Amino acid sequence: MNSARTKDTLKVLISTGHLGTAPSNAESFHRGMDANPDYVVADGGSSDPGPVYLGEDTTLGHFVREELELFLTASRRKGIPLVIGSAGDTGSNRGVDEFVGIIRELAQEHGIPRFRIGYFYSEVPKDYLKRKLAAGKKLVGLGGFPDLTGDEIDNATRIVAVAGVDPFLKLLDMGADVIIAGRCGDINFTAGPCIHHGFPEALAYHMGKMIECASLVAEPFMGKETIIGTISRDDIRITPYHPQQRCTIASVAGHSMYERETPYYEHALGGTLDMRECHYEQFDERTVRITGAQWIPTSELRVKIEGAKKIGERYMGFVGLRDPHVVRNVDAAIDWVKSAVAKRFGHEPYELYFHVFGRDGVLKELEPVRETKAHELGIVVEGVAATDALAEKITDFAVRMFFLARIPGVKGTAGTAATTKKTMKSSPGYMWNVNHTVPIDDPMELFPVHMTEAGV
Amino acid sequence: MTKLSELASTIRSKNAGVNQITFDIIFPDAQSYRRVLASQAITKDAIAKLYRIPASRISDFVTFDVANAIKFTMYRLRPSGSPGDWDILGCQQYGPLLELEIPG
Repeated sequence: MNSARTKDTLKVLISTGHLGTAPSNAESFHRGMDANPDYVVADGGSSDPGPVYLGEDTTLGHFVREELELFLTASRRKGIPLVIGSAGDTGSNRGVDEFVGIIRELAQEHGIPRFRIGYFYSEVPKDYLKRKLAAGKKLVGLGGFPDLTGDEIDNATRIVAVAGVDPFLKLLDMGADVIIAGRCGDINFTAGPCIHHGFPEALAYHMGKMIECASLVAEPFMGKETIIGTISRDDIRITPYHPQQRCTIASVAGHSMYERETPYYEHALGGTLDMRECHYEQFDERTVRITGAQWIPTSELRVKIEGAKKIGERYMGFVGLRDPHVVRNVDAAIDWVKSAVAKRFGHEPYELYFHVFGRDGVLKELEPVRETKAHELGIVVEGVAATDALAEKITDFAVRMFFLARIPGVKGTAGTAATTKKTMKSSPGYMWNVNHTVPIDDPMELFPVHMTEAGV
Repeated sequence: MTKLSELASTIRSKNAGVNQITFDIIFPDAQSYRRVLASQAITKDAIAKLYRIPASRISDFVTFDVANAIKFTMYRLRPSGSPGDWDILGCQQYGPLLELEIPG
């Protein structure tokens, strides 16, 4: 290891759990920058917003440029690296190029002295996966998915692989000042810099996990506020920079189980983080110290892949019910609509959903409350079909059929549903169909790295 | 009987990957955590009954002493964000837990 890299501690600043969805609070960000961090990091993406963004290859956030501007100008002023994971939400090649382009424009606009942008891609060619299948390799399903077939590979509009720390290590070795990553695990854009500077893998990955959602690790609940994670050879420490927030054993231990199936293990490319023996202690009034994570390397390298397939074009309409008799018999009204649609469009493939708000619109089959106490119901009709015209026609027809629903005993004879507005075009309907792992020989083989320059 | 919302300090749900939703119930102290565990009001079977699903749909159920927390995870019927899903983040599925009655 290069001696210039050797440090007793490394401080990593993060102000957002998802770059671009809303602006980071500049006040706590600058307070954090005043504490002289060694890195600024942020997660540019997630699979959380659903399959549409990967399927359509679009970026969700409307504040990407604002946030990158804050991070880039502040980090360049201090001469410290900026590391962005999963560019453009999905880490698609287009997302990476878009973010690199924004960094270039901002560097010009602000007259930032020349610096190096390292970036890597993570889209997976379908042929590559089919060759794995042909070679008898299993593409194992995660989270209840069956193993991946050649047909489902073809059905996906786009597939990305989830990088580990390796492309980050490579780009830092190459001297990148800014890293724009393709799809990567949300712990790796922090773990990479920590491992690059020689800190133990177990602590590096654990710090990545603890700080990836920024201020959500502290209390009280606040989003988009800055925290700093500090790693040493022996421990990690988490400190919030909003003056009203503090890290407590409860907040940090509680966060360690956030959006994970288990609080005890975290899988990453190349190994598993074992947190069963973790110990949390209050270090000072606002800081929690964490020790005890173990890193268990795996014998077989398997990289996670993600992909989405298109179901069709999608429209939505809204229906209001106020007649108490119709409210009580909403299932009969829905059955009437379904059969009317089936009679007219049954020869076409389509999907039609009824979201009954006021009863089970949010929880669906999981809702324990089966008898609604509401005096009115709102129903979103969601229709998906192969073409735009057909999706609109079916959805609009379903909305009209609520108006004409024939329910025995109805006293109103001028219309059984209140409707307004044109049936609205929504995003196309997509579905995650790739959520698997693929065996690889080299942790870099799906993640080509590139270096370019920006600034004046 | 006491409602779970009167005993727990955090009750939440959130995606754990694209095909599962995980639920966290965190208590302010070991005493209330132990009380709820001892009551047997929150077990894998009790959760399956509350949400009207077979216990096989619950992929994981753990107690997490260091955080005074109970955590369980269930499979979705279709992955998050598929047509027909109205909780892409899975972040409103915890609602029924607040009303859960804890004996004792």
